This record gives sequence, structure tokens and C-alpha cells, in this order.
Amino acid sequence: MRATSSEVVDVDLSVELGPLRLSNPIMPASGCFGPELASLLPLERLGALVTKTVFTAARSGNAAHRLTDSGSGSALNSVGIPSPGAASFRSQVLPRYSAHGTPVIVSIGGLAVDDYFSIADELSMAQFAAYEVNVSCPNLERGGISIGADPDQVYRVTRGVVDRAAGRPVIVKLTPNVASVDETACAAEEAGAAALTVANTFVGLAVDLRRRRPVLGNGTGGLSGHGIKPLVLRLVWEASRAVDIPIVGCGGIATTGDVAEFLVAGATAVQIGTATFSRPTTMAQMLDELPTQLTDLGCRRVADLVGSLQA
Amino acid sequence: MMLQPLAAEIPSRILPVCIDAPVLGNQYVSDRYWMLRLDAPEIATGVRPGQFVLLTPSQTPGEGPSLPRPMAVYDVDRADGAIDILYGVVGSGTTQLTRFRPGDRMTAVGPLGRPFEPPSDATRLLVVGRGIGICSLTLLARERAERGHAVTVLLSGRHRGAIIGADFCDAVGVHARQLCDEDGSSDVESIRRLLVEQYDPAPPDFVATCGSKRLLALCRDLGRRWTCEVQVSVEAHMACGLGYCHGCAAGEVGRDEESPLVCATGPVFRVS
Repeated sequence: MRATSSEVVDVDLSVELGPLRLSNPIMPASGCFGPELASLLPLERLGALVTKTVFTAARSGNAAHRLTDSGSGSALNSVGIPSPGAASFRSQVLPRYSAHGTPVIVSIGGLAVDDYFSIADELSMAQFAAYEVNVSCPNLERGGISIGADPDQVYRVTRGVVDRAAGRPVIVKLTPNVASVDETACAAEEAGAAALTVANTFVGLAVDLRRRRPVLGNGTGGLSGHGIKPLVLRLVWEASRAVDIPIVGCGGIATTGDVAEFLVAGATAVQIGTATFSRPTTMAQMLDELPTQLTDLGCRRVADLVGSLQA
Repeated sequence: MMLQPLAAEIPSRILPVCIDAPVLGNQYVSDRYWMLRLDAPEIATGVRPGQFVLLTPSQTPGEGPSLPRPMAVYDVDRADGAIDILYGVVGSGTTQLTRFRPGDRMTAVGPLGRPFEPPSDATRLLVVGRGIGICSLTLLARERAERGHAVTVLLSGRHRGAIIGADFCDAVGVHARQLCDEDGSSDVESIRRLLVEQYDPAPPDFVATCGSKRLLALCRDLGRRWTCEVQVSVEAHMACGLGYCHGCAAGEVGRDEESPLVCATGPVFRVS
């Protein structure tokens, strides 16, 4: 339901992720978004646009199948982060994101620590608002999972990208596939991260009973969607208490109520991924409803709700 | 088998829309097949043969299947602004689709993907479909028949009750031959003999197929024999339908470049 002026007075949706000021806390999750959505969703209304993860060299994704439904509003994917490579990204892809006047957050990835430095060097002259460092994709054969699960490696990658970021804020997207998210969160903070995205997908497996084989071509995949929401809310809550930098909540957010829950649990902003697949207009609907949601909760600003969980 | 993307530019493409379309009808047809009719003038206006829509099985965000289901547009009533979707019930998502009743609304995104692109001078079409794959071919058969082209349709299925599209072809005046596994008539070599006999004297200038790898291989062979264009509509699991998620690509390990996307580069590909 669209908020009306009689119900909602002067609700301030703006948020700050370190030095990055956004008009509102709603942005897409990397990999679940592209400028192709422009005909279905007003991209200029979003708080930020987050690109698919870019690698230095062009790379293919994984073997088919790459997707399967997991019930409970969830999906398992093993897309595997195909990338056009840094040069094509700069010349062909980034301009399509930048065309909407919304702050662009470029997600970068690598198969080894030095890869992150290479891509940051290659993108240093490009125009965009911030980095999101993807240390946590579970689909890669090497790199992603081990870097994101090791606090020392998270520190090294974060530090190196911060040093090459030309003053841009660096957001680090953590993996949930760790015993303690506090350790990797603190490592990223100590290395100079401006904010943390909590979190990437959970590693999962779908079984094809008849064939006695994994459903996905890559074997395992990343679980996303509404079914993981309680798991991620807990991670956001823990991470927000472990560090002083802002948290971007990501995982299972499908409704405006979910957005509010993540804010209460400690997120300053949120990312929407799987919900966009079933309804491409999801983020616009959340922006329509958020002022009313905040008003109903007695808040005039997003910041009034952030971290207000009484526990 | 090589599948080639069609030409780079999509002729006169309209941008997809996302609508909560009123359900006009949703009825059991036969075997595992159901027919859904949506009031979707924004899609009906521009949809072309071979294009598809994404249907969201759950109207409650965060509940039920998370991925929308790609469905070929079986038929369109451009005057009334309605589209028909013939779908097979095979899993949780399509089971949920059967629960929609007239008056409900269903989230639909479309039209999506590349349509069939017969050569501009093609007037003799052979259309070969099996099972649910026939749904990607019906609109092509109808629109070409309405232009006065010679269209022959082969409809293959597991058994008589599982052959779809026969009534449709009758209604639009297209000659359709039904083939099924239970009487052996769908055997590929039998079909090959039948088509060679019928078409060798005057081959078709365009072949369209969907729904069977064996029939695709047959169409490829016959296309080479007759030196005519063959195009196939490919099925895949999808999430975005627009090309940004890359969930539908048939990726190959070790390649430097991403494979063609079924949703945006396809679903129709040239067979060579």
C-alpha cells in the first residue's frame, strides 16, 4: 500500500555507510540485479546499485544446472560468477549502471588475494561510489570460500583494496559459512572497511533422488531467499555488536516488514536478492511502504530503528 | 550439436513489463496439462512467436517457490488483450499455479526472449514439437498459417492423451499429424522416412522445433539435407528472465567466456 501524506510526515529515509550517504537503505544484492531491470523498476529511486562481481579476467560460470528451488521462498544456485573481465566491465557494463544517477557500488572478486589488488588497480580511474569486496562466494573452486573464512586473509584483502580505493569506501561482504562471524567482521573493520555486508549465501546441496546426483552442475550451491532470514538476522545482530562500522543486511528479505526487522537487528541498510526474481518490483514496493512502516514503529528516521533490538 | 545465437539485434522488440495480471481462466486440459488465460494487454500487444513470460507461483512474498516459472505464450488474443499459457504440472511451482482461480491476480513478466525468426522469404514451414515443447511453436504455426504460408505441424507425445496442440491446430486451420510412443508412430526413424518422403520433392524453407533432443537432431539432419534454416526453442531453469542473473546459461568448465543465456540470447537458437 502506498503511503499517503496524511499518514506519514517527514520520514527521513537517508542512511550513511561511513562516508557514503544514500537516499534510502534499499539496494540490490550483487548478482541478483542488472541494468536490464530498468524497464521494470525505477532504478533512480534505489539507495544504491550493486554490480555483479567483477573479476580481472573474463570467466565463465559453472556447468548447468545452475538453479533450483528449495521451497520456503528459497533457492539454491551455483551460477559461479561469470564475468566479462575488468576492461569490458569498465567500457561496456559500468556505464549502464552509472546512467541512472544512483550511487554505484562495484562488487569485486578474485581467486587469490593478489587478484583483488589487480582488479582494484584496474578500476581505480573509473567513476563509481564504493567497492563491495566479495570474499565470500561459496561457488568458486578456489579463493572465495577460503579467503572469506580466514580472518587473516580477510584482513589482507580488505587492507589492500582500501589502499587502492582512491578514497572510496570499501564494503566487505562476509561469508556466513564460518563458526564465528565476529572474527571476520573485526578483521575487515581493523583493515579499514567502511561497512560490512552480512552476508553471502549459505553452502547447500540439493539431491536428485533418481540419478543419485547433485541437482546442480557444480555439486553444491549457495542457499538464498526467505528461508535463510532467521539465520542472517542472527548474523547481523552478532556482527553489529562486534564492530562499530555499519552493517548492510542481506539474506531472505522479501517484505518491508523484513527490512524493518533487519534494521532493528542492527543493519543500517539492506540488500534484496532472491525476492527480485519472483517479483521484480519488490524494491520499489518496499520504498513505497517504508515511510508508513517507520511511522507505525514510532520512528521519524531510519536511524531511529537501527540496532534497537532489546535483548 | 551447435546452437548459434540469432542476429545481434532483436527486430522491433518491445520492453518487458511486470504486471499483476487478472486470471481469466485456469482449467485442466488433459494428462498433466492445464490452460491458463491471463488478462495481460501489455504483454499481448507485443508478444511474438517463441517468446515467453515468467509466472510467479506464489502471490505472498517469501512463501512457496522462490523462482518464477518460464512459460511459452501458447496463444494470444490481441483484440481482447489476453494470453494463453498451456503448462504441464511437474513440480511444486506448477502445482501451485493450478490453485489460481478466475479473478485472482498472478505476477507475470514479459514478453521475454528472442522470437523465432524465419527467413524473410520463407513460406513453407515445418514445425516439429513434443510434449510441453509444442507450446513454444503454436503461435508460430498460427501466425504463419494466417499469412497463407504452408505450415505442417508434427505433434509428438508419450501417448494419445499427452499430445497437445491438436485442437489448436484444427481451430486455426493448420494440418497437424499426431505421433505417439504407444503405437510407435513417434519413432524418430519413422518420422524421418515420413518427412523425407513428403518433403524431398519440395522441401520446406524453415523448420522450427522444441521439446525433444532426438527430434532436434532429426531436424538438424533434415535441415542439412534440404539446405534450410532450422531454429530450436530451448528450455532452462530461470530466475531473472532478463539476462542479469546468468542462472540459465549452459556453462562449460574451463571456458573464458560465458555461454549464451537461454533467457536473453535465446530461447530460440539457430541449429547448425
